[in-house]
Amino acid sequence: MSFLRSLLVPRRGRRSRPGTLPAGLVLAVGLGALLVSTVVNANATLRDSQAKRNNPAWRTDVAANVADVSNALGLTEPRTVIDDAMGRHGSNLTAEQVLAGQRAAQAAARRRAGHGTTPLTAASSVPHLRTPTPADPLKLWVGGDSVTETFGTQLVRVSTGTGLFRSTLDFHVGTGLVVPSYFNWPVHLATDVLTKVDPDVVVIMFGTNDGQNIQLANDTILTAFTPEWQTEYANRVGAVMDLLKSPTNNRIVMWAGPPPMGPTTRTHGMDLISHIDWLEARSRPWVHYVDTWVYFSDANLQFQHSLPAATGELRGLRQADNIHLSDIGGTWLSWIVLRDLGRYVDLSASKLQPDPDDLPSPTRKERAVVPPHVPGAI
Amino acid sequence: MAVWRVARRMLFPTVDFAIFFLIVFSGSWLLRPHRVSWRLFILASSIYFYGYWDWRLVPLLLGTVVVNWAFGLAVHRALGPDATKTPASRALVAAAVVVDLAVLGYFKYAGFFVDSVAERLHSLGFHLGDPTLSIVLPIGISFFTFQAISYVIDIGRGVWTRPVPLLDFAVYLTFFAHLVAGPIVRASEFIPQLDSVPDPRFVRSSEAFALIFRGLFKKVVISSYMATVADPVFNLPGQHSRWAVLWGIWAYAIQIYADFSGYTDIAIGLALLLGIRFPQNFDAPYRSLSFQEFWRRWHMTLSRWLRDYLYIPLGGNRGGDGFVYRNLMLTMVIGGLWHGANWTFVVWGFIQGSALVGERIIKKWWATRTPLGLPTWLVHVLQWFVTFQVVCLAWVFFRAPNFSDATEVLGRLFHGGGGSSLVTPLLMFTVVAMLASQFVPRRIPDRLTEGFGRLAPVAQMAALGLGLVLVDALGPAGIAPFIYFRF
Repeated sequence: MSFLRSLLVPRRGRRSRPGTLPAGLVLAVGLGALLVSTVVNANATLRDSQAKRNNPAWRTDVAANVADVSNALGLTEPRTVIDDAMGRHGSNLTAEQVLAGQRAAQAAARRRAGHGTTPLTAASSVPHLRTPTPADPLKLWVGGDSVTETFGTQLVRVSTGTGLFRSTLDFHVGTGLVVPSYFNWPVHLATDVLTKVDPDVVVIMFGTNDGQNIQLANDTILTAFTPEWQTEYANRVGAVMDLLKSPTNNRIVMWAGPPPMGPTTRTHGMDLISHIDWLEARSRPWVHYVDTWVYFSDANLQFQHSLPAATGELRGLRQADNIHLSDIGGTWLSWIVLRDLGRYVDLSASKLQPDPDDLPSPTRKERAVVPPHVPGAI
Repeated sequence: MAVWRVARRMLFPTVDFAIFFLIVFSGSWLLRPHRVSWRLFILASSIYFYGYWDWRLVPLLLGTVVVNWAFGLAVHRALGPDATKTPASRALVAAAVVVDLAVLGYFKYAGFFVDSVAERLHSLGFHLGDPTLSIVLPIGISFFTFQAISYVIDIGRGVWTRPVPLLDFAVYLTFFAHLVAGPIVRASEFIPQLDSVPDPRFVRSSEAFALIFRGLFKKVVISSYMATVADPVFNLPGQHSRWAVLWGIWAYAIQIYADFSGYTDIAIGLALLLGIRFPQNFDAPYRSLSFQEFWRRWHMTLSRWLRDYLYIPLGGNRGGDGFVYRNLMLTMVIGGLWHGANWTFVVWGFIQGSALVGERIIKKWWATRTPLGLPTWLVHVLQWFVTFQVVCLAWVFFRAPNFSDATEVLGRLFHGGGGSSLVTPLLMFTVVAMLASQFVPRRIPDRLTEGFGRLAPVAQMAALGLGLVLVDALGPAGIAPFIYFRF
């Protein structure tokens, strides 16, 4: 009882040693403060836990249980109010739902314009983009997860340097298509990118954070890389590709598969994700799949930290974590993307040409078929 | 090419660390009366903390402990009567410094040189494979190496009249609160506290909680927000207007201050909760009116380390003006290189050294002239403005990945047109508020801390808990490592 009473009594009496507490009370204050922040932040903690790659399942389970209790007691309200005020709330809308909303909005717009319900373009047509010039550049948007940070930074630098693009980088660390409650890419693409930027060229890369279980709206858990998971992930990839399609067919999507990961990274399954990306892109003429894997691996398709460039010079393509691209690796992939983009757009007016040291060896060729499993890959 | 890698993170602002610290706090106060048990407990906790990052590096840390302790013992035995220096003691001190710097140099600079040599050899047709994979920069190595060096040198100088027991030295060097990014605590400040057992009835909790909360806010909220402006400006200066680049540079100045001083605040607060007091490491550095003052307020424990173990041995102020200027310049350039093997750090040190030298020259010249009669406040404003802007100029080289990027950033200040969505009223307010906070008299936060200390513990609990909620809500998802962990 005396301990409990001491928790409630103001500490004015300690005139000889102001600002002090007995160690036991300090522990109680510290534990209590952590408890308060844990229950009030429960939903945010759960979102973070779900989004973390390689997070042990028990951590997410604990976070989920705490969130359940906190939500039931209404203790998460203060945090929700702050998140709403800052526009930070996650969304559980699926890519398909966002896509359905987008299609409905487009159909309504066409009806208002007197075009009935006839689609503007056939799905089989290759997008048509105007020829960019320095006076009339194309809008290029590059986005994705943290791997896109250095890659996108270099792509913006290189593409802007050509004088043919006005480029924007939009990466979000720790994100992907598996945990929309943490960061909802379909919603972001629909509400922020397509509406506000309306890019002519979309360059996008996901996968590094996607090798984890998927939790469906009905709380069903799809274990990572199982057939059910693959079907769901393919649906999400396909829906995002569909979402990015321009109703007037004047937008190209350069979908870059994830690069291979180093052996110590505990980041698995990038070969399978590449396969799914490639498979989904095949049936969508407005999507060009960039086979990143082959440009960051050796002749046996195994991860390499450094590779010889077109000149034979050894180039360090990855950061020391063996996950992210180095600046050189980012530049390397940027020129590959621009080269591929040149198949759809006339880039002959470019003011910038690649340094041969920034290009992969010409012996590296994209694969005709991207298999679901690369022997030896993690 | 960077060689720094972190396998797992136990950063201060994480749940993992909170759980770790609660266990350490409880165990520490329970075992405090037991001399050996407490030391073993703290040592084990610190090793666990360090091993959480990468267990392979624990032998290096323990090796540093044993080798430097043995050197300390040998130096002490080699001293003459009344702890006077002898040729043998000098040689042993020199050997210890060489060994420490060799290890530091290997981990910190070998990757850079091996990469450079490998690339050169490759261009000549010799293939060495991929040398960068084999070297991982041990986190905190610069900090614990400097502490070890200071211990051996202090024994050689007779500052320590006796070598400390191995266990005490191990606790001193590995203590988790200062292990990875300082402050650089001297043995003379730390080891006496091991013997004076603090009273568990009087833990300085309000000061500690205030420091920890302030540090978390600076790191998680301010530093992270400033990074959202500084990063794009430094990554792609060509994409931003001169206005955005200017604010981006100022934002970086605030970012690095908030990040590093935030870390230090948390470290000092944690140690205080365990009854250990660390020296202050930052004292409102951006209020400085001169470069000399700046270095008395910025990373104070490194400044005094460089002063006592580099500047003074170089000759310090004992000589003509040119001699002193040379020593200042050398100290700052070497201090720059301490941060890493990159020319940008050399330039950063050169700018800081030039500013210190230039300031001395101007002061001397000014003293011989008739005063202009400007009001004191205006003189102070001008001094503050010049000092802050030159410090920011140096930060450009500190932040930029290479020399050409740094010059590109500076170039944009002179011919970068256009507007920018990066510069928002919130950014301007935050930068100005952080600068203004440097001028807040210390009695104001002290009174707030006292007021907090007078609250009932349950009210302290609620206030702290809601403070943590606010920090988490205002900060971004995920915590970036502290900037100084790289050094």
